[in-house]
Amino acid sequence: MATSALLLAAAGYNWAQNQLDVSFHAFQDSRGVTVLSPDANFTKDFTDRTSVKLKFGVDAISAASDSCARCHSDGATNGRFVGSANITRKYGDSKVTAGAEFSRELFYQATTVLASVSRDLNNANTTVAGGFAFSLNQPQLHPGPTVESQQSYDAYGSVTQSWTKRTVTQVGYEINQVNGYQTNPFLRTTLNGVMTVGNSPDARTRHALSARLRQALPAETFFEADYRRYHDTWSVDSNAFSLGLSHHFGPRIVGGGSWRHYAQTGAYFYQPEYTGSPTYFTGDFRLFPFDSNSVTGRFEITPKAGLLMMPAGSTLALQYERYRATTGFEAGIFTGGVRIPLK
Amino acid sequence: MSMKVRALAGVLVLGILTTACATVKPWQRGMLADSCMVFDADSATAYMTHWQEAREGSMGGFGVQGGGCGCK
Repeated sequence: MATSALLLAAAGYNWAQNQLDVSFHAFQDSRGVTVLSPDANFTKDFTDRTSVKLKFGVDAISAASDSCARCHSDGATNGRFVGSANITRKYGDSKVTAGAEFSRELFYQATTVLASVSRDLNNANTTVAGGFAFSLNQPQLHPGPTVESQQSYDAYGSVTQSWTKRTVTQVGYEINQVNGYQTNPFLRTTLNGVMTVGNSPDARTRHALSARLRQALPAETFFEADYRRYHDTWSVDSNAFSLGLSHHFGPRIVGGGSWRHYAQTGAYFYQPEYTGSPTYFTGDFRLFPFDSNSVTGRFEITPKAGLLMMPAGSTLALQYERYRATTGFEAGIFTGGVRIPLK
Repeated sequence: MSMKVRALAGVLVLGILTTACATVKPWQRGMLADSCMVFDADSATAYMTHWQEAREGSMGGFGVQGGGCGCK
């Protein structure tokens, strides 16, 4: 089971503005999976020191992937909802955040609590941040009734630094320990010529080191570069880096594009097919070695008089991403959203 | 202490000392507040991260993580 969903970037965290952010995401891939995901984020300052952020999202999934089509010849559908609440309070140059997230879908449920703290130093040119999260994840071994459990402990630390009035960087480190059932019950591999659900180790420690740069260039143009180095105890190693440019076409229009390259090694127990009696074996495509590339285009407009019935300052954002992996997997992802400032 | 640990500690100390030299004044921070300069994930970026982690064997590095989903 996958164990991640970005809840809160603990660093570089600007103070909240009263705002409603409504987005619609559409994902379609070469396996025949379509996911439609509306979500809403609501942020409100209750006092000059206390801010609350609420999120609600839904995934409507229609899947005709190999794993589903094995038993459901016409494909299958699934639905997932996720809700989260975070409260942030300022204490001088420090901010403390506590929150929780709950998500539920057919055959999977996740419950998370988190806490983070950040502090501005050096006249706010340096921000040091750290966070911790615990998740209890409960996959059901469909088509049977058995429910397994998985515990995920996650810690993160970062330093964000403004070097000049045009340059800011961030370095971060995250460690994640996952214990419990971690086999994907839907993905099978060939074991002695028979398609069989895999068997993965029940402990995994994951390390991720990141470095990011934002650089303002002349003529209202901005450069961004991100890098992440990842290693875990299943011997999955990866490098991911992305480069992007954005440009202000006047005061109300922003356009941009980015490119991302990703490469990973396979887990130590990965093989295309298995014979004999291996302790661990997997058909999980996320544990295969592969590379991928993706390109993204983005456009934002903030009309002077507001959007339709929405108040002035409302922003329409459109984004499209194309993803292609050496495994043959391809996907297109469209996002449209509006940000509405609230009083 | 291994060479790797020493090197890492040296980089950290150098980084901390160097950051104290940066003195961007509050009135010079306008460009740094531009939406193109902040690291916070908006909804589109958060969704992109979410589905990338559904397809790839690695994760994290940019903030604390939640329970994710099992639909992958």
